[in-house]
Amino acid sequence: MTGPAPPSHRWIRLIEPACTSCMICARECPSWCISIDSHTEPISDLPPTARERTRNVLDRFAIDWSLCMYCGICVEECPYDALEWVGDLTQPESSRELLVQEMVQPPSDAK
Amino acid sequence: MTEVLPEDWLAEVESLKADGFDYFDWLGCVDEIGRRDCLRVVLVVRNVGHEAEPRTLSCSLPRDDPRIDTVSDVFAGAAWHEREVAELFGVEFVGGDHRRLLLNPEFEGTPLRKDQVLAARAGMNWPGAKEPGETEASPGRRRLVPPGVPDPVVWGDRDASQPLADPAEVAESAVGGRVRWRRT
Repeated sequence: MTGPAPPSHRWIRLIEPACTSCMICARECPSWCISIDSHTEPISDLPPTARERTRNVLDRFAIDWSLCMYCGICVEECPYDALEWVGDLTQPESSRELLVQEMVQPPSDAK
Repeated sequence: MTEVLPEDWLAEVESLKADGFDYFDWLGCVDEIGRRDCLRVVLVVRNVGHEAEPRTLSCSLPRDDPRIDTVSDVFAGAAWHEREVAELFGVEFVGGDHRRLLLNPEFEGTPLRKDQVLAARAGMNWPGAKEPGETEASPGRRRLVPPGVPDPVVWGDRDASQPLADPAEVAESAVGGRVRWRRT
């Protein structure tokens, strides 16, 4: 043993490519701190004979750190391992609104 | 676990203490709604000096008038647990300490009973109510309620002329999930 393990349960990060917008984390969260917006989009590169199918596209994933109690239920429950603990501290902010952290960057160019 | 009648509760705890189970471990309560219409008070005592298994006593009390003798005269440390059970489940410990332990003096209700409605949640916008892929432009058809809020047809949107829903029905529908389809 060489001293205490480095801190790891301080901040929760979204691994965006793994997220399917399934809403499970938002529903399991006991303090209601996760907000998700998503929409469906037809899948374009299907073989010509395939029936039309859609997939969910994540538009917004935000955690309100003023509500989060760092229980980690969202990390445990995510079936796609799209949330993970990070050792960094959450940023202090000057107002309650700024503690809502947007985790999906809006596309830089419209279209 | 030994099931004890409410009238034998105090005598049973005293006799366990006399038998050497003189270490009070904990006292708690379980709301058995949905299985039986009762609250179950559980008490665990240990015999620290010897290797005996801890003894667990349990006592079922009617939900509408749960009363049981205090054991705080036998184990002073049980008073804290009894006060906690009293305010969280509404159990009366006859002869015990009736002061509030954790909740505000103004608070009304019994928060750990399963038919306790989290009323503040019913009026709030739950982020989990949305379906995957659902947008404001195309709202989904299915409705969900968060845990702690009963189905609106049971509580909330209930016809005011009807009697209040049965506590078991409230508890059953307040576990969160899809709102039931009901044809009237």
